[in-house]
Amino acid sequence: MFHSKCCFWTTSAAGDQEEDGYSEPCAQCAAVDWGVSNEGQFFCKNCYNVTEKMREVTDEFTLYIKNSRISRIAKPMKTEKKCAREWMVCEGFQVVLKCQADALVSLGVCLQFKTEVLWNFWTRYLQNTRQAFVSNPISTVDQNSESESETESVVCSEYSFWNGAPSEAGEVKDSGSSTGGRSGSLDALSYSHRVDRKTYNVMTMPRTLALCYLALLWVREAITLADLLRLVKERHVPYLNIHDNFPEDMKLFGRDSLIFRVDSIPSYSTVHKEAVDLAQVMKLPAFPMVSQDCLLHPIPLTVRYLLESNLPDGLLVWVHKVIDEASMGDDSFLTFDPVKQKPALVCYDIQAAAVIIVTMKLLFKLDDRVEWTSSGKAASEKKKKVFNVERWYKVMQPAFERARQKMEREEARQLWKSHKPFITSLKDKSLVFKKRRVVNHLQHRFQKLTDSTPEQQCFTTTAFSSFHFHWGKEQGSDGPSLHQHRLHCTFKKKGVKRLTNRKYWHTVLSVCPPTCSNHFSEIEASLPRMYVWLLDLFSFLLGVSQAQVHKEVLNVERCLMERELLSVSKETPSPKKRTKKPRKI
Amino acid sequence: MDDIEAELKIDSPGNETTNQEIIKNPLHIEAPSKYYETGFHRSSRKCLKVIRDAMLHHNWQKAAEYFTSYIQTLEDTTVTSAHLTRDVIWRLGAEILHHLANASIDDFNAVYEIMKHAGVSNYAKICLEHAFHLLLNGQSDEAKRQLSSASHWRYGKLTDAQSLEMKLIHAYCGFLDYFIWSNKISTTPETEDVSSLQEISMYFRQASVTLQEIITRPGIWDPFVLSYITMLEHNNSLDEALKVLQNYAYNKDFPSNPNAHVYLYQFLKRHNAPQSALISSLRILHSAVPSHKLMLEFCSLLLKKHQDTALKEALCACMDLLEFSSWKCDRDAWKCLLKILQRPKNEHNMVKEEWAVRRSLWMAFHFRPYIIKTESQKDVRLWRIKERVLKLLGEDLHIEDTRKSPSGQRDRHHNASEDNVDGDSRRGPARNSNSSFKRDESKAAREGNAAGLRDRLTDFTHRKRPINTLNSTGQLVPVGFIPDV
Repeated sequence: MFHSKCCFWTTSAAGDQEEDGYSEPCAQCAAVDWGVSNEGQFFCKNCYNVTEKMREVTDEFTLYIKNSRISRIAKPMKTEKKCAREWMVCEGFQVVLKCQADALVSLGVCLQFKTEVLWNFWTRYLQNTRQAFVSNPISTVDQNSESESETESVVCSEYSFWNGAPSEAGEVKDSGSSTGGRSGSLDALSYSHRVDRKTYNVMTMPRTLALCYLALLWVREAITLADLLRLVKERHVPYLNIHDNFPEDMKLFGRDSLIFRVDSIPSYSTVHKEAVDLAQVMKLPAFPMVSQDCLLHPIPLTVRYLLESNLPDGLLVWVHKVIDEASMGDDSFLTFDPVKQKPALVCYDIQAAAVIIVTMKLLFKLDDRVEWTSSGKAASEKKKKVFNVERWYKVMQPAFERARQKMEREEARQLWKSHKPFITSLKDKSLVFKKRRVVNHLQHRFQKLTDSTPEQQCFTTTAFSSFHFHWGKEQGSDGPSLHQHRLHCTFKKKGVKRLTNRKYWHTVLSVCPPTCSNHFSEIEASLPRMYVWLLDLFSFLLGVSQAQVHKEVLNVERCLMERELLSVSKETPSPKKRTKKPRKI
Repeated sequence: MDDIEAELKIDSPGNETTNQEIIKNPLHIEAPSKYYETGFHRSSRKCLKVIRDAMLHHNWQKAAEYFTSYIQTLEDTTVTSAHLTRDVIWRLGAEILHHLANASIDDFNAVYEIMKHAGVSNYAKICLEHAFHLLLNGQSDEAKRQLSSASHWRYGKLTDAQSLEMKLIHAYCGFLDYFIWSNKISTTPETEDVSSLQEISMYFRQASVTLQEIITRPGIWDPFVLSYITMLEHNNSLDEALKVLQNYAYNKDFPSNPNAHVYLYQFLKRHNAPQSALISSLRILHSAVPSHKLMLEFCSLLLKKHQDTALKEALCACMDLLEFSSWKCDRDAWKCLLKILQRPKNEHNMVKEEWAVRRSLWMAFHFRPYIIKTESQKDVRLWRIKERVLKLLGEDLHIEDTRKSPSGQRDRHHNASEDNVDGDSRRGPARNSNSSFKRDESKAAREGNAAGLRDRLTDFTHRKRPINTLNSTGQLVPVGFIPDV
């Protein structure tokens, strides 16, 4: 379905992207900047001089939307063999989304994701921002003439091409280059210049990822946001240099580069925030339930992170208990509902990591003392397969350090520039190509001398694994697996099982006002090193900052606290809870 | 093919890279705290850091690997100073290539050629470096070709902005012409072959015209002057050569250059000039560089004159020389001093006066008990000379006695200078004891008074390597850059 609708422009060809319009210079101001009025007459956009000339507009897509006008015409140059055609910025984003969806489907996401969900989201977005699929779309083309913007409208799925006799093509080209604000797409100028981008909710490159993430969430795929960003970083999902994937006849030029050029991979928090915003813009209904059978539920996710961090399976029981106690396994808590007053989109992956950290704190205290002494006790019992923190740390730390260094190396050697450079203006065209040539030559020279391949190629040739580490006895693993080790952290007293670690510490749990930035950097130095190391480990695994993980740990602790207070008020304390009672140190 | 206008716009001479600018806007290696950094910039920054570390550890293979990735910063669209990036890429690339074992001359040529045209704001500088590299590899013909093609390079305002480099290119062009000419002169025997003679004379003409022009401009042109003088001598136009050398040495517009006086003296000596001319040229050199090795010749020339004033001048020059630590243990210098002191016409007063001024310094610098002890064991011949010098100066000979400084021989002037060395005149009677003598030395070194300062400064010359030394007026002057031609 998505395919059938979005392929319409790939099959058709027409027009030239750089030189558009009726190419006679205006009789009054000699500019070549023509628009077509409602009556089909040409008018000069510079001085509003209306000519006698009439154009008959061929409109192929009036079937879809009745109330539509063509604001520009395109005329292909006779000399140019390659057909370039007119396109709108949102069409460009459609291509981006399609590429990303294709990549995700080829990675194993269900086809439904692409054909139904993402396409529906996309049309919904266009409708809600009145860019297309509505009866009164906002014009994104005409900014100079306010009178036209109301009457003229452009819909992204519509365009017209028209073959006329080319005349004075060279002149058009010159004038086009001198204005400087030209772009390959029709509305890049207004798109990038829009003062109140927020109210218009224009599409941006980070938002394509947010949209993909929302769609993934909708189909309840097991790809978390951290996974998605890692896929992007390792180039399994196209995002950098996306214009390489554009069809031949969609030429990017000038201002398009401001919209489609990418020089960073957006951070987790950015995409997360954009996803919440987009869901509200699109007026999405409540998302499908995140229940236990969904892999985004904390229980299966924690299993995954326990495996990743080489922690014993026995810990899972305690993780479940924490999830239950904090009542974080509730569908209502986990499910994203943009209709709510203050919609909250749970960071599933960070939350799962936080639950593991809280469990570790509960069992081993992690105050730089207890976890080492208790592990000593466990070792002295001479049971080989008993988990002890010290041994775990000794296995984990070198592997972690290696992985981090590898990541640094990859980051330093990452290639960002495409073989197809962006051309921002005709004047710079030769310069840009020259730079590209220079870089190519030099890289070729030095590659020959070092026999090295750039990192980009390494990334794409290696298969994607959602795990950073491999534990076990096989060749190439990061260390021995501790999954089968038994946990030894309870003792029996008067028939009641109790935790060996009796105390729990936490930082201030009071909620800061939203204007407050995070305090992690202030308190970092005073926190136990083991706890910070654990934050470090999980923030590395998820590709987020330590502060974010710490914040999520606080959230989990708050949930625990609320339940505790609730149960105290009801005066039905269970024996288990007493051992878990969070106490401040 | 290249868009000149676009290049010019970006590389306007106003933003020419200077060291000042690099200091002001360095390429960042540490993470910025104030502003947002894009992923691309973070990658480049980290990459540069790895390259720097690898280069510092001489891990050139790794540096080259990372440099391959770093090249992409050339395509950075946000950097306002694109020329700075190009500069960095050029310098890094050249440095890494120099150290890569498997880099061939082709690689060098290709990289220099690419970088030359990548940003023409550095064209002349890269051309010069390319030529130097070729010269180092013995490809003088290729270097000549490079330079002569570079000297015809024109790129609008950009050529003017690099006028200094263009001048140097011009100068080295002439120098290489001379080089080829002198090679041809020495290798080809006297031939009657007209064509080869013509060729030789062509090189001669080209070189002389260029060099003549270049050395009239103020600056330090040592190798160029030397080669021009050689050519003039070859042509037997000695007057012209003398004029050139005198202009080079005495023209006030030129920066102070001791070598100019050295060349003039050597030229005069070569052509048997009268003694007075030789002495006067060396006298200027003495005022500029009292530690120059020609000072010994200066002394012997003065001694030939048999005049009191000349003798005094010789004494001063010789003692000045010995006050530099590089000459401290030079036997010839001491011999020279001995010869002066042994002169029968030696006015007792003159030596006394000179010695009175220098005594405190010399006793600490040359006749410290420790020095005497080591020298009397290691270099007996030197010590013998020194001993005789000391005797002629009227000091006590014995080591034991030098420790107990003879206080009776001092006049008021002497005491004053001793106080100066002490830096503490309040100590009074204890001043002359052995312990106070030792303290004097340490104090002198610490407080930077006459002896200590001189000693420390002369350490420069002691190390042989440095080009700068202090002249008598305390100004820094470049010395000793005498290139091998």
